Amino acid sequence: MAGLITAGVISIVLVASMFIAPPANVGPEEGSLAPDFIASAYTGGEWEEVRLSEIYDGRLVYINFLDTDCPYCWEEGVELSNMHQAFSEDVIFINVMVSLEITGHDSSREEVQAFRDKTPFGDNDNNGDGCYSGRKDCAERPGEAHTWMYVDDLTNSIAGDWELPGTPFSVILDGGGTVVWNQAQSDNHPPGEEVGNALARLLGGE
Amino acid sequence: MASALTDPVLLFFVAALLGSSFLFANGRAKDGAEGTLRMLDGSLAFTITGILASGWTWVIYNDMIRNPLGGEFCATEGLVQCGSVIGDPRYNNLFGMSWGSLGLAAFAALFFLILCLRMDMHAKWVSKYVDYAWWMGLAGVPFLFLLIGIEVIVVKHICPFCTIAHLALIGYLVTVWMLRERRENSAWH
Repeated sequence: MAGLITAGVISIVLVASMFIAPPANVGPEEGSLAPDFIASAYTGGEWEEVRLSEIYDGRLVYINFLDTDCPYCWEEGVELSNMHQAFSEDVIFINVMVSLEITGHDSSREEVQAFRDKTPFGDNDNNGDGCYSGRKDCAERPGEAHTWMYVDDLTNSIAGDWELPGTPFSVILDGGGTVVWNQAQSDNHPPGEEVGNALARLLGGE
Repeated sequence: MASALTDPVLLFFVAALLGSSFLFANGRAKDGAEGTLRMLDGSLAFTITGILASGWTWVIYNDMIRNPLGGEFCATEGLVQCGSVIGDPRYNNLFGMSWGSLGLAAFAALFFLILCLRMDMHAKWVSKYVDYAWWMGLAGVPFLFLLIGIEVIVVKHICPFCTIAHLALIGYLVTVWMLRERRENSAWH
C-alpha cells in the first residue's frame, strides 16, 4: 500500500513538473536552442538523411543558408572556402540550401551538387539553366569546391523554422546546439563583426 | 495577387491615383483660371502620389536589403510580392542608390515646379515653368521603360508599388501636357 502511494505521489509530481517547467526556448535567436531538423544531406556521395541535433559533438557549428541562384551566395563561395580552410578543425560547417521564392530561383538537388562540387551544370547564357538565376555554369562558382555537408531545404521548411530573412545568412551554434551568433542580431555583436571574426572570437582567437 | 489587392497601403495608393485623376478631370471640364487651378491640383496630387509610392518602395528596400543584415543578400519574398523586384540586388539600384530614393528625389523636383505654378499661376515665368515641368517629367520616361522592362522581361514579376509610381509619372505627364495645351490655346486664365 505504501509503495502504491509513493508511486502515485511520484507520478503526480512528475506530471505536475511537466506542466510547471518552463518550455524549452527554441528558436534562431541568440541564447535559444537551435530549431532541430531532419533533412537529406549531401557530402559528396549519396543524399542521406541527417538530424541536426545528432551532429553536435562539442565543436561550434556554423550554419550558412545559401541559394544557388542568389548572386551574393555565388560570391560567398570564396569566403566559405577561406573560412573552412581556417576553422575546419574546430568548427562543423553546414550549408542549408534553400530556394527563395524569387522568379529565376528554381534550384534542384543537381544544381546544389554542382554548386558544391563545382561541376558543370547549365551554361553562361541567360536561359534559366545553371546557378546565379540560371545565368552561369555552376562549375564557374568562385572559390574552391566545398567538402562539407550541404542540406536540402529546397522546400524552405527549415528556412521557415529559422525565420530566414534572405541569403546568404549565417548562424553559429555552440557545441550543445545553442545559438551563439545570429547574423540578424548585429546589435549584440562587436561593431562590424563578420561571421569569420565571430568564429575567431568564439574560438578564443580574438 | 489576392494578398496584394487587400494590402491597405496599396489600396491607399490606388485611391490616391484615382483622386488625382478626378481632380484633374474636374479641372479640365472648367474654363479659365479656376479650371487651370484644379488641373494644377490634379498634377500636384500625382506628384504627391509619386513621392509617397517611391518613398514606400524605399522603405521596402531598406527593410529587405539594409536592415539588419548590413547589405548584400537576396531577400526572401517580402511585402506584397515586391521581394523579387526590390529584393533583387542586380536591378534594385542605380549606382548604389535605390530606385525608390531616386524616384523620391525626382517627384520632389516635379512637385516643386507644379507648386510654384499653383502658388502664382499669373506670374511671368509660368510659361517657362510649364515647359520645365514637361521636360523634367519626360526625362523620367526612359527610366520608366527601363524599370518596366526589367520587371516584365528579366525578373518576370511586377511590384505593385513600383507600378503606382510609374502610373503617377504617366498621370503627371498627361496633366502637364494638357496644361501646355491650355497655355498654347490661351485658355490659361
